[in-house]
Amino acid sequence: MAEDLVLDTAIRDWVLIPLSVVMVLIGVLRYFVSKLMNSSQTPDTKIVKEGQVVVRARNLRVGANFIPSKAFRARKIYYCNEENGLLFVPKGQGQNPQAQMFSDPNMAMDMMKKNLSMIIPQTLTFAWVNFFFSGFVAAKIPFPLTQRFRSMLQNGIDLSTVDVSYVSSRSWYFLNLFGLRGFFSLILGEENAVDDTQRMMQMGGFGFDPSKGLSAEKDNLDITQHDWALPNFEQRAEAVLRKVIS
Amino acid sequence: MAVHSDSASSGKKSSNGPNELLTFNAENMQNNMKIIYYSRTFLSIIGGVVAGILGFTGLKGFVFYLLLMGLTSLGLVAKAGFSTHTYFDSWNRVLLDGFLGGLMSFVLFWTFAYDIVHIF
Repeated sequence: MAEDLVLDTAIRDWVLIPLSVVMVLIGVLRYFVSKLMNSSQTPDTKIVKEGQVVVRARNLRVGANFIPSKAFRARKIYYCNEENGLLFVPKGQGQNPQAQMFSDPNMAMDMMKKNLSMIIPQTLTFAWVNFFFSGFVAAKIPFPLTQRFRSMLQNGIDLSTVDVSYVSSRSWYFLNLFGLRGFFSLILGEENAVDDTQRMMQMGGFGFDPSKGLSAEKDNLDITQHDWALPNFEQRAEAVLRKVIS
Repeated sequence: MAVHSDSASSGKKSSNGPNELLTFNAENMQNNMKIIYYSRTFLSIIGGVVAGILGFTGLKGFVFYLLLMGLTSLGLVAKAGFSTHTYFDSWNRVLLDGFLGGLMSFVLFWTFAYDIVHIF
């Protein structure tokens, strides 16, 4: 029963396009505001040191096959030694970075600012959409959905016989919210694209990273086997030289 | 497309000899992944607009999206000279990376173009 509703052109002019334009503009605005408000925080020396130790251990793991086995073992013991190895963190101390991070006023302020700058525009826009654009059919999505989605997509429209493909403007808002992420990454360039849903997922595991990173790196290093590549280097050199000559 | 001109040419990782020594230059790898992501997003947007204008509905549209992603993968593999192992560390990356993000953009622009052209 796909009766084709004929929708007013005014809806297209005054609902669809303005809503998309507003969301794009708000995204760009948020990007610039976040760049302006980005207070440069002096990083904590302890955390930076731990980060660098993890990086060194990782480099050792990656390049393990290029150094002689005795050298590798010496380095491995230096990192993983139970008493004074760099990567060994007794259980009690591991909690410190997280507690420090929350008690440090600067960092807490920064996290709060980032959270707010994400939530407020979304809330405002949503309220605006609900206030102005409710109670009529806004768009037709090109693919059919089941009846269960009706309450989610058509919440302003109280007729139950209208096809589920005809959605209200609230669902157009959500569609824009998700679909414009890729668009933002194109026009705003690189990682600074407003990828708020990803950042919200990152917020959960933020404070706990340093202590877990150390022990994870230690475990990884413990299980690395040493397989010295030097004996086979001659074959590699031969292959490369062949390619160069031919 | 300017994105493609500097694409896989800068993705050097040391090629593996007969003994499978694999080392990766992380920065180049990241650059390559970014290029895949951009290509996918751009093509999903264009593909969404095309699908909307042509009036695809329902399943046809999704099949079109899958075709588009396959075409993207093919193009990327061809640009990498069919030796993806020198530019990426696994097959899955070049085939499946920006899939879901591209899907959302595709659906948005598909809905947009379809409505503008066919309903109003």
